Amino acid sequence: MATTAKEAMAQFWDKNSRSNRPVSPHVTIYRWSLPMMMSISHRGTGVGMSLGVSFFGVAALVLPGPFPDYLELVKALSLGPALIYTAKFALAFPFTYHTWNGVRHLMWDLGKGFKIPQVYQSGVLVLLLTFLSSVGLAAM
Amino acid sequence: LLLEMKLGALFSNNGILLSRPVVTSTRAWYRCPLAYEIHTFPKCYASSKTASLHWMSERAVSVLLLGVLLTVYLYPGPTMDYSLAATLTLHSHWGLGHLLNWANTGLYGLPTATFADFCYFKYHDVGICKTVALLWSL
Repeated sequence: MATTAKEAMAQFWDKNSRSNRPVSPHVTIYRWSLPMMMSISHRGTGVGMSLGVSFFGVAALVLPGPFPDYLELVKALSLGPALIYTAKFALAFPFTYHTWNGVRHLMWDLGKGFKIPQVYQSGVLVLLLTFLSSVGLAAM
Repeated sequence: LLLEMKLGALFSNNGILLSRPVVTSTRAWYRCPLAYEIHTFPKCYASSKTASLHWMSERAVSVLLLGVLLTVYLYPGPTMDYSLAATLTLHSHWGLGHLLNWANTGLYGLPTATFADFCYFKYHDVGICKTVALLWSL
């Protein structure tokens, strides 16, 4: 059953890409809303972190020497506390955002908070919590 | 009175006006014989439960990951490191799978490599938890 579905999909794409039909404007004309932006950010942070973590994993396998040596290298650069704090904040932010928005998603999966004002309220709450937790984590 | 209470509930809910009235009284059914013709959608319409189970597993892993993140912070150690590696790679794998075509099995390369790297890392080197701790101590 999977092959016929795949074949059908392939046929659809072949026919439509060959005909060079114009695509109706969508993201260029639709008014951006908070839920829309948060949704794509959730996906974006997820993909970003996955790739980052995978990259780190592969790097750990490929690069010579244990990890603390590289840390010593970074320490030797003596970057200054403000820059280090900013870097930590930049690392913590996608993590906390994805986590808190993930909880919001799980609430939706339980069937709660679907009314439009609730969606906006939970969104703002997530952003607030993200900012606060990032500030807190970066300070550690 | 029942209708008034229901209308009151509609208006008072965050001050939102529902644009269409909701027929909630069950006593109205005998007045609408056509309503008897409505058939509810059968629950087990899908031919297999695979997709449904997968969705549930995804949510379970997400919840598990939340728990693992908490415990890995409170009780760092080898078991937690491996649990984190496993849960994280699974969550990423399924997450990225939503973006890429499920039929495309090129999806397996990256997370497998990542998980293998994590295990190697933990075994030979410092390990993830320690890494984050060291990185954060800068």
